[in-house]
Amino acid sequence: MTENVSDLVLEGNAAVTLLQELFACDITVARTQCEACGSIEGVGSLRPYAAPMGAVLRCSHCDGILMRAAHTPHGRWLEMKGARYLRFQSSM
Amino acid sequence: MTATETAAQPVRRLEWQLAQVREIVVETYRVKSLLLHVANWRGHLSGQHLDIRLTAEDGYQAQRSYSIASPPEDELLTLTVERVDNGEVSPYLVDDLHVGDQFDLRGPIGGYFVWTAAMGGPLCLIAGGSGVVPLMAMLRHRERRDGHAPALLLCSSRSPEDVIYRAELDAMARRDPNLRVVNTLTRKQPDGWMGRRGRIDKALLAQECFPPEQSPKIFVCGSTPFVEDVSRFLVELGYDPLTIKTERFGPSGGQGP
Amino acid sequence: MTGRLPNESMIAMDETTISRGFRSKRQEQTPKNRLPPGQYVTTDFPVLSAGPTPQIKLGDWTFALQLGGSLLGKWNWAEFEALPQTTIKRDIHCVTKWSKLDTTWQGVTFDDLLKAVGLKEPPAFYIMAHCDGGYTTNVPVADLIGGKGMITTRYEGLPIPPAHGGPARLLVPHLYFWKSAKWIRRVRFMEKDQPGFWESFGYHNYGDPWKEQRYDGD
Repeated sequence: MTENVSDLVLEGNAAVTLLQELFACDITVARTQCEACGSIEGVGSLRPYAAPMGAVLRCSHCDGILMRAAHTPHGRWLEMKGARYLRFQSSM
Repeated sequence: MTATETAAQPVRRLEWQLAQVREIVVETYRVKSLLLHVANWRGHLSGQHLDIRLTAEDGYQAQRSYSIASPPEDELLTLTVERVDNGEVSPYLVDDLHVGDQFDLRGPIGGYFVWTAAMGGPLCLIAGGSGVVPLMAMLRHRERRDGHAPALLLCSSRSPEDVIYRAELDAMARRDPNLRVVNTLTRKQPDGWMGRRGRIDKALLAQECFPPEQSPKIFVCGSTPFVEDVSRFLVELGYDPLTIKTERFGPSGGQGP
Repeated sequence: MTGRLPNESMIAMDETTISRGFRSKRQEQTPKNRLPPGQYVTTDFPVLSAGPTPQIKLGDWTFALQLGGSLLGKWNWAEFEALPQTTIKRDIHCVTKWSKLDTTWQGVTFDDLLKAVGLKEPPAFYIMAHCDGGYTTNVPVADLIGGKGMITTRYEGLPIPPAHGGPARLLVPHLYFWKSAKWIRRVRFMEKDQPGFWESFGYHNYGDPWKEQRYDGD
């Protein structure tokens, strides 16, 4: 059994919630390109870390950081310098 | 737009709503399903999750995310919760909660780890322990839609007593020739158990999953080590990583169960 | 600091529903003056990482002290283990509000590192810790000397598990535990303070748990 959880938490979803609060569209289906290695994937498939301090989303190919998000009592932070873009599909 | 992509839907700002417990179902010795009434629930898709928030009388609050176990067709929302020892929220939900009790809830969240009947199959669902919850929402939705999409649920549990939804899944599979449910037990097997033993490994995946040429839609849910191992095996077996969707429980870097 | 509820959730306080019978399990048996404000005691050892756990072979491991472009000292594993070892027992406090009491660590104090490279005085006022995986954190040297900081290699008498920062992690227990950087490989002296990974992203630059300096702006 994991030695280190006080409850099983949907890790990726803690990260998703932090990001989602900042976007008008569903962020999980947006596509993004890793600045470090060029691979393209859905934001929902990025590897999430660092909950509950924040969300650190890493490339599933090279582990480079694409995005970081944090929500503190003094405000919200979003950094996306590791992502070349975010692309939201328009509905048909 | 390919079948694996979904259009970005505008989302309303997430707001807390009131949830009331209408029914409690015992699934295993430490897992219960809570059937909730949420007035003005705006619907969800199978695979999504929601956040719940408990507030004590002294103002103390705790918040957790749970996958929705019920399909969009159900009137009540179902959450399936596993009691984690020393947990703060799950023991309350599993041991103390009564019908009629209330808490705050918001969602649905997450449009990425989602399956709708319109997306079609074959559908390949791989669960570690309580990772079966969002996948069950998908299977329940599939059944409500008279699903013909071939589907496989490959489920890893510690022991027979830990298999969640066991009776319901057996019945579903008996009714539906297009659905296969394969269980593997990692720690304890009953006498005469003819099924699989041990963790889900590359060989088991190669044996059971729809082959890569059929481009199955793959959903993997469980602890982070489980999800990372299974995803890696699938990629090594030739499945396109873009067709593999994952959801992780617990902190990354933790030790597996 | 305005009056805040204990463990207040991060989200704005709107209409909340009181859940019958729910209460915090956390404030149980702890001597009150031992815990910094807002903390609760855990017997677990939660793992929080900003990235995947590096798998490091001891044969490849080195630790270095740097000043500007120059190397003040560098040790491989055997050399590092041969330095004077100190064992301490301390409470540790995570910014996510858990505290763990009486944790035992063994390693090399910052004072002994300076002696090992022949320095009587630290060469600068600040350091940046650099770690496998790219994590960084900044600490004033004044918070490391006088026995306040160590590079540790053992937790509770055993090699630190990788998930908890092994083979070696910085330990600065009087500050929030994000400063006790896991997988440390280099300590770089800096003339001017610069913020590390969390300090540049919403978290407090110094991080004193007794002043509840969790976030940038506290």
